[in-house]
Amino acid sequence: MAVDPDRVRKELEAILGPRRVSMRAADLDTYAQDMWPRPLFARREGLRPAPRGHAVVWPETVREVAAIVKAARGLGVPVIPYGGGSGVCGGVIPIHGGVTIDLKRMQALRAVRADELVCDVEGGLSGERFERELARRGFTFGHFPSSIYCSTVGGWLATRAAGQLSTKYGKVEDRVAGLTMVTGTGDVIDTDGPSRALGGPNWTQLLLGSEGTLGIITSARLRMAPAPQLRLYRGFEVDSVAAGIEAIRRVMQRGLRPAVVRLYDELDTFVNSLGGGHHEAEPEPDERGPAPLPGTGALPHLPEAPRAESADGRISRFLELGKRKVAGLRRELTSAALARPRLVNGVIGAIAEKVVRRGCRMVIGLEGARIRTEIEAALVYAELERAGARDTGEEPGRAWLAHRYAVSYRMSPVFRSGAFVDTMEVAASWAQLLDLYHSVREAIGRHAVVMAHFSHAYPDGCSIYFTFLGQADDRAGSERLYDAIWRDGLEATSRVGGTISHHHGVGLLKGPQMRSEHREAFAILAALKRALDPDDLMNPGKLGLAAPRWTGGRA
Amino acid sequence: MIDGDPPGATATGDGGGPFADGALIAALATAIGGDHVRALGPRAWRVEPGAAGEVAEVVRLASEHRAVILPVGAGTRAPRLKGTGERARLHLALTRLDQVVHLDETSLLCHVQAGLTGSGLERVLSPRGLSIGDYPPTILSSTIGGLIAVRTPGKSSARHGFLEDAVVGVSAVLADGRTIHTRIAPRRATGPDLARALCGSEGTLGIITGAVLRVHHRPDSRLFAAFVLPSIDAALAATYLALREEAQPAGLRLVDAGDAASWYGEGVIAPGEALMIAATAGPTDLAACDRDLIASAVAAEGGRPADAGLAEQWWKRRFTPDSWPGPPPTFQVTATPARLRGAYHAICGAARAAGGEPRVHISRFDADGAVLFAAFCDEAGAPLAGAAAERVRDAAVAAARAAGGWLPGARSTALDPYLTALRAQLDPHGIMNPGALVA
Repeated sequence: MAVDPDRVRKELEAILGPRRVSMRAADLDTYAQDMWPRPLFARREGLRPAPRGHAVVWPETVREVAAIVKAARGLGVPVIPYGGGSGVCGGVIPIHGGVTIDLKRMQALRAVRADELVCDVEGGLSGERFERELARRGFTFGHFPSSIYCSTVGGWLATRAAGQLSTKYGKVEDRVAGLTMVTGTGDVIDTDGPSRALGGPNWTQLLLGSEGTLGIITSARLRMAPAPQLRLYRGFEVDSVAAGIEAIRRVMQRGLRPAVVRLYDELDTFVNSLGGGHHEAEPEPDERGPAPLPGTGALPHLPEAPRAESADGRISRFLELGKRKVAGLRRELTSAALARPRLVNGVIGAIAEKVVRRGCRMVIGLEGARIRTEIEAALVYAELERAGARDTGEEPGRAWLAHRYAVSYRMSPVFRSGAFVDTMEVAASWAQLLDLYHSVREAIGRHAVVMAHFSHAYPDGCSIYFTFLGQADDRAGSERLYDAIWRDGLEATSRVGGTISHHHGVGLLKGPQMRSEHREAFAILAALKRALDPDDLMNPGKLGLAAPRWTGGRA
Repeated sequence: MIDGDPPGATATGDGGGPFADGALIAALATAIGGDHVRALGPRAWRVEPGAAGEVAEVVRLASEHRAVILPVGAGTRAPRLKGTGERARLHLALTRLDQVVHLDETSLLCHVQAGLTGSGLERVLSPRGLSIGDYPPTILSSTIGGLIAVRTPGKSSARHGFLEDAVVGVSAVLADGRTIHTRIAPRRATGPDLARALCGSEGTLGIITGAVLRVHHRPDSRLFAAFVLPSIDAALAATYLALREEAQPAGLRLVDAGDAASWYGEGVIAPGEALMIAATAGPTDLAACDRDLIASAVAAEGGRPADAGLAEQWWKRRFTPDSWPGPPPTFQVTATPARLRGAYHAICGAARAAGGEPRVHISRFDADGAVLFAAFCDEAGAPLAGAAAERVRDAAVAAARAAGGWLPGARSTALDPYLTALRAQLDPHGIMNPGALVA
């Protein structure tokens, strides 16, 4: 349908006034992208890769959001919600144009109910500010994604995000008491109530993760926890990935809930062992100090934003392997080597196994109320040691805690160098997990250098986080390689019974695999879509709900 | 809302008639065997398929003949006939689907058929050192399919959370006869949780034929404790103090003086006092920790220890409800943590004003709050009956609502238009339990 820009502007300005509507090219370009790496191949060559929307708007109330959706409906243009723009799947790209709604002016923490352990928060609030506000009052939401400085509460809810401490606090969908959403018809709905006791389907769970395709989450009632009084982080090591998986499984199935469980495979362990910023002197934290003070309580989870000099960590270390301890690897890690990933995976894997003689590194963290956490920690450590894990002391735990937000800031040197890096987070039950690890590693390893860690553990399974590094001669080659990695990696995941996304969401990236992920159950998603968004205007083309015309800048 | 009528709203109610019934019943008999299709009355049959594939065939035939499907579980709930009109009715019982399909002891996942009861599953798990979890034993007489398909309060424990959250995936038959299996993974970020559309849908969006549930190792230890507190208010305060210190009791019950007298004997506590009974479980150190956290919280609220045998006796009796000495509760309401105290006092006050003596206990503490159970008695301690019982109950219901509590069967009707639209999408002919979930 032809869209008349003047009419779009007029209708939006009637709702928001002229200052909160923009149709300038700079704004349209900015809001046409998130942190999905694929469009960067074109952008690296100075091209404008993504389709643009028609307008960007900044509403301040749920009523304004509803009015915008109704206006868009009248105009026949799509509506795309935008939070921090930290998504890595292209979920905000306006592939059919439309109005991008930036929710960051809706950022009130409206109520903090200490007696109910529930807070009422608007969707546009940044994660960092949210957690700082709660910490000031003696609470935590317990959600600490590495994107916490650049993501919003609404974005977390729309994608079913996970934080680094999810093993104790749960994923974001486990902590929602109710949602307010503007649906595709422009109506405002609330899903509050004793969610598991009210009759009918659990609407909260049917709207969480909808990535803007069913409506726009404008606020939510979220369950808080008291800020932890005690925080215990340690390192362990195990002989192999298989031994580490078994150790974690035993801990989780004894009913123990560490906050952080991380197991790095041989290559990831090796890259981490190359040093670089892990050992600078830091003040000794007093673990037994009073609860939420900086240095002891919730705030250490929010260290200062990574400084430039510390931002050359893991990934760039990965690139610079050769300069460091293993001189013989220098050549392998040049561009030429990245073009032969199978060889590199083999060579590095073999060297890594020799260098990291002691096997795979683990980080185990517990936190919470003082007495129970101490007792639970002793039980966790004992169970790990029974499973063959060796305690490596507090330093690895402390180092991880200090540097855990830095990884997202380390990607650009890789892209500047002409290579690319991305991550694939999949999950499966314990019985399938090792199979999933080997299958995906093999599938990605055909195309790129790949390493992995296991985190976000559950009594019934765990997620695996693959990091891969690839390079091709030109843009077209990079795009082909990138697409092949994702296609083969996700196909391998589905084949062994895993899920294609544990917490990054679907967006455009994983849309093609949504049918094989859900199989016949996709009919329910399609029905939900028609029930809540009959005109198909809410973030169209995402979640695999329609064949997108735009596939990531391919000519 | 959706413009105009949902598709199919006018297409229901046709295709019936005795002749069509004959063809339908013959086809059903061919599909699942004549022995499993039994006439119940005019235009009503009980059908008992013996496999998930047979359920799909039954639904497909019903869809073709526009007959209505009314799911029946273990018979703990009567089917609602509203909305069935003049159409043939198939009372679909999954009682023959009562098998454990697969037990994955590595992942602690159990794939069960929907007709298996909770206690039937427990009998399979128990010899293997496993358990469905510390859920209230009274709910386990229902079928797993019924427990999942109908959402009611109290299917939870502080230790194992909500039963609904133990469902990792479901298999179901949609109205057009298609079978779906949601993917099994601990958590996903692949759009909305589609299994949750079927959980709680009471068969309106699909018939659940199987589920994959998380199960648990039986705990190393179970410990029991009982305490006397100066009042119900103090008992609630102590409970939330302990829960905030992260105590995870396997069971916790607060009993007011009236209820304590009829269940545990006169003189256990004085009028106005409250009894707290608790069970903890898990690795021994953790079970002891949880018990001690509760004891400290009780001490902080001015309470004192009582005979732990009361708690042990209570725990055992939970599994044999018939052996209870007290009047069974006739009233229940769910309230959030901050509203429990107000709800308790409002209900007791209203009941007394209407001429009934309330006997109340509060249990099933979870993230949503807790459930308050009440029986109403006369001065002699006998349960009220007839008009007097009605009067007191009505007063209690009004008081509970005013205090912000949720009564069983409460629904968020504001979302009904979307549920109607979703039903219209998945079930255009309106054959799936049409009387359920309708305002």
